[in-house]
Amino acid sequence: MKASKLLIIFGVIVVFGLVIFYPGRQLAREHVNYMTAVDDHPLECTSCHLYMSNNKFISKIINEDYYSPFNLAVSNNGNLLYVIAQDANELLVVNSEKGQVISKIDVGIYPHSVILNKDETIAYVSNQWSDNVSVIDLTTLSVIETLKTGNGPSGLALSANEKHLYTVNTFGSDLSVIDLETKEERKRLITGNNPTGIALSPDGKSLYVTSRRPNHASYGEPLISDMTEVNDKTQRVTKHTGIESAYLMENVAFTPSGDLAMMTLIRPKNLIPAIQVESGWMMNHGIGIIEQNGEGRVIQLLLDEPNNYYSDPFDIVITPDGKKAFVSSSGVDYISVIDIDAIRVLMAESSPEMLESFSNNLGISSRYVLERISTGANPKGLALSPNGKLLYVAEQLEDKIGVINTESLEAIGSIDLGGPKRITVARSGRRLFNSAGHTFQNQYACYTCHPDNHEDGLVYNMEGKNMGRNVTNTQSLREIGDTSPFKWNGKNQTVYKQDGMRFSTFLTRTEPYSHKDLDALVSYIVTGIKYPPNLMYNPNGELTESQLRGKLVFERTVDNLGNVIPENNRCITCHPPPYYTNLKMADVGTLAKSDDSILFDTPHLNDIYASSPYLHDGRAKTLEDIWTKYNDDDKHGRANDMTKIQLNDLVEYLKSLRGPIYNQKNLTNNNTPPYKHN
Amino acid sequence: MNRIKSNIAIIFIVTISLFSLFSSCKEKSMEGMIVFTQVSGDLPDANYTSGNSWRYFSNSRIVALNHEKPEESLKVLTNGYFSACSPQISYDGKSMIFTAQKEQNDVWQIWEMDLENLKVKQVTFSNENCVDPAYLPGERMVFSKFTTNNTVKKGYSLFTCNLDGSNINQITFNPHTYFASTVLHDGRVLTISSQLYPNQRDGMFMILRPDGTKAELFYKSLKGSEINSRGWETTNGKVVFIESDSNNTSGSNIISVKYNRPLHSSVNLTSTIKGDFHSIYPMKDDRFLVSYRSSNDDRFSLYEFDSENKTLGQTIFKDKNYNAIEAIVVKKQKRPKKLPSAVNMDVKTGLLLCQDINFSNTHLQGNTNSKAVSLEVVGIDSSLGIVDVEKDGSFYLKVEADMPFRIQTIDINGNIVNGPGSWIYLRPNERRGCVGCHENNEQVPNNVQPLSVRKDPILIPVNRKKVKNKKISVD
Repeated sequence: MKASKLLIIFGVIVVFGLVIFYPGRQLAREHVNYMTAVDDHPLECTSCHLYMSNNKFISKIINEDYYSPFNLAVSNNGNLLYVIAQDANELLVVNSEKGQVISKIDVGIYPHSVILNKDETIAYVSNQWSDNVSVIDLTTLSVIETLKTGNGPSGLALSANEKHLYTVNTFGSDLSVIDLETKEERKRLITGNNPTGIALSPDGKSLYVTSRRPNHASYGEPLISDMTEVNDKTQRVTKHTGIESAYLMENVAFTPSGDLAMMTLIRPKNLIPAIQVESGWMMNHGIGIIEQNGEGRVIQLLLDEPNNYYSDPFDIVITPDGKKAFVSSSGVDYISVIDIDAIRVLMAESSPEMLESFSNNLGISSRYVLERISTGANPKGLALSPNGKLLYVAEQLEDKIGVINTESLEAIGSIDLGGPKRITVARSGRRLFNSAGHTFQNQYACYTCHPDNHEDGLVYNMEGKNMGRNVTNTQSLREIGDTSPFKWNGKNQTVYKQDGMRFSTFLTRTEPYSHKDLDALVSYIVTGIKYPPNLMYNPNGELTESQLRGKLVFERTVDNLGNVIPENNRCITCHPPPYYTNLKMADVGTLAKSDDSILFDTPHLNDIYASSPYLHDGRAKTLEDIWTKYNDDDKHGRANDMTKIQLNDLVEYLKSLRGPIYNQKNLTNNNTPPYKHN
Repeated sequence: MNRIKSNIAIIFIVTISLFSLFSSCKEKSMEGMIVFTQVSGDLPDANYTSGNSWRYFSNSRIVALNHEKPEESLKVLTNGYFSACSPQISYDGKSMIFTAQKEQNDVWQIWEMDLENLKVKQVTFSNENCVDPAYLPGERMVFSKFTTNNTVKKGYSLFTCNLDGSNINQITFNPHTYFASTVLHDGRVLTISSQLYPNQRDGMFMILRPDGTKAELFYKSLKGSEINSRGWETTNGKVVFIESDSNNTSGSNIISVKYNRPLHSSVNLTSTIKGDFHSIYPMKDDRFLVSYRSSNDDRFSLYEFDSENKTLGQTIFKDKNYNAIEAIVVKKQKRPKKLPSAVNMDVKTGLLLCQDINFSNTHLQGNTNSKAVSLEVVGIDSSLGIVDVEKDGSFYLKVEADMPFRIQTIDINGNIVNGPGSWIYLRPNERRGCVGCHENNEQVPNNVQPLSVRKDPILIPVNRKKVKNKKISVD
């Protein structure tokens, strides 16, 4: 070809390229600016179109299969660790001396806890998303039985005579008592709201069950969470102790002498306008102590310090000599070492008023915290070796077990479980989500208000034009990727904007996320957070008769008097599947006097049964309350003509709503999950 | 063809030469060198109110020392200035800001020097002294500027500006004088603040966000002691500084406090060392660069200090004619967090919430003070109003922004129960909360909704319906 022709073709290509590039670049810039709500995010298509893709093929390439160790148990001779690999749905058997995984046992979906019987022949694993417990023969290292439980089993404990297994049902807010001879559940006891931890007292007489969510209270009323006491012999609830101003009590332990029960807890400040983070104005973290003798006092002490907070305390274990307690603070990657004798002295010498004051004092921890030991990412479950000399830490987002010498109070190594070495973008995002490092003075992580990527059941007074106005109910983060806009007032069109500059100015109060970190966080939120199955109300897609009737009510177009219901007043209009939101703003007659006049973003209703309280300010304790207490004018759907049975059916139907993927696959609870966790 | 080859060769040689030249220039970087202020002769008595001979020294100069090559002579960095002191190094280790006078009677201004080519640019062009600069993240700095007005009275207020001198903002508005600022890893400014009006008080470490919001006490010396230097944060969570003790004839000491709990973790690191410390700077781990003299007859010299063993180490620099003070090391450092600002200059007020005015430090000790039912907001020279508190003791005020005020609590008979307290000011759009009056600084609020926020805030001053527009004059 002649050189001139080549030159012309080259010139045309260059001109063509320039024509596309410049306006194309401008379009890309506008698009990215809109999606990220900033004007300087790098123009990298992969940030959204690769790392936020739900395409199976792409997900398989960019993601990894992690173990995510959550809880663990130690064998009687200390040689073996039994580690819950939550994201792998496995129980790992680890040789603690050699630091090697020697066996992997498939258990149910999303396992939570593991305990061993005394003679170490059997291990029990609670499977929170299967509603059952795997019974494992430790000789053959295989599952020999599966026991049915209530909804969302988590904490486990054996009765003193080991004839019964107690499983804490987190989602059902109750406690199953399973007869290990008949393998049947023989009792279901009512606990506090969203319970998890359980421990048997050293004398074998009673058990304590912690709860994570508080008892329902209208905004402004005191916040109280329940500690349930159960008599092991009678297997009856003997006491519900209200733990004031505290929630997210994850775990509990007894001192070997039985004089104290100690639990982890968080003290939120949701009733105070969220105007600052300094001076502990948002969240405090600590432990609760319940005296077992004498007055049975309940006191709370903080682990925090005036300029540094130890967010999201998860597990607590106590040394065999009763002198030291270890608490994992998952949000800051530290273990706090507590001098229990110092606490006993504090309790003995302080008046009730002083003890009350200490529960709000950031300096008091210097009296009983001996040391802070750094760990890998997101330390969760703890277990002590039988002689108490070694502490094992499940570093959930590190895929390792940390090992700490409890005498020198130093980390001495870690056991690599053999998970992927590559930290994916979504995994980085998950670490950020669980880390308080991006909040001023580490005071709280995303996880703190969104435990289990859900919501904490609290109503907050976030910073606005005036204090005391526009209180809002925390919203779930499960599968929100396709449900923009965000916030109750719908002001954030993307998750990027939700977690961007305003988020850092008015919530975290520290430097905003870098573009890279925000990409990772958004990737995790949009792709990595999944709904658990709705095993309580809709285990296999087959609706009950009541639910089917309720579905008709939900979809009705004519009321009981034969009047056509206006389209904008029908449930189905604003709440169509698969997310049961039309993604639009609405006025449903729920504005309070303390609200600015706004429309509200229609929330999604998947797994709504697990999201009480309801409405933007949490005023409705139950789904029924929405229409019996707060819908006088029928603005929130035509409902006042309904009979009680119709309303009951509607509520049953709403409770059956589950994550979209379950409807697509019509999965049963025996199937493997439709996705992997990040 | 030969011509083409020779041209190529020439170009190649020139390129290599230029490359070598620039490379060799880069090798002259000051990384690792010690930069400090030299003051000749006896140090005049420091004036902790005006800052004279304490934060700025007449006839001083800034020099650089390569202590790994003692055979190299001292390099004077500030030739051409009558006085120069208070050097601070940028976080990338490439620039230095300092305060200086070109001529003897000039106003002190702030300058920035590129440490690679030693070129200097003037940052401030003020009619009043600008001293004690410190780098802020985001190409800005904080500094002290002498201010005279009805609210600040006469003292040094804190200002921030861009490193090109633009966008100057005053960030403190109470009648205090502020000196010796540094920026902590969390992004806040640590500064020595002394009340000037209505009576003078000793300096204390205050900490505040770079926009002036959320100012609070960080550390206060015991009676008779005084903070004398900048506070420096170490990599292991401590803040170190120099503190004098009038009861201690042996001079000033090095004090260390924990960042996590500064009010109650003070440790004197040099109680067994006779002599006088002037300044301190963290080098690495437990090693510090200190300015010290064994007696008043000596000049201050530079030494290493081992904080773990509490011992003075090797002498780094000594000169019988000059005092060596304010030493820092030219190195890259971890940049502090850049804190976002909620200040909105279009908003003329700030909001203040108190949970319970009857909650104080003494209430647990059987305080027999009568119960307060109202509070008076006291301005510089007049009352701004008396406000009844709610049944739970809470109050919620909307206060004119950037206006200093104090609060005193009043009982049912009109007697003062507590106060007036310390000066407070709120930045435009700032929201501030407190637990009580004179409460323990380590006390967090109870999780109770204050009754006062169920109503609109009370406007302060109470006798004004609208807050007039304010004009802030800047240089």
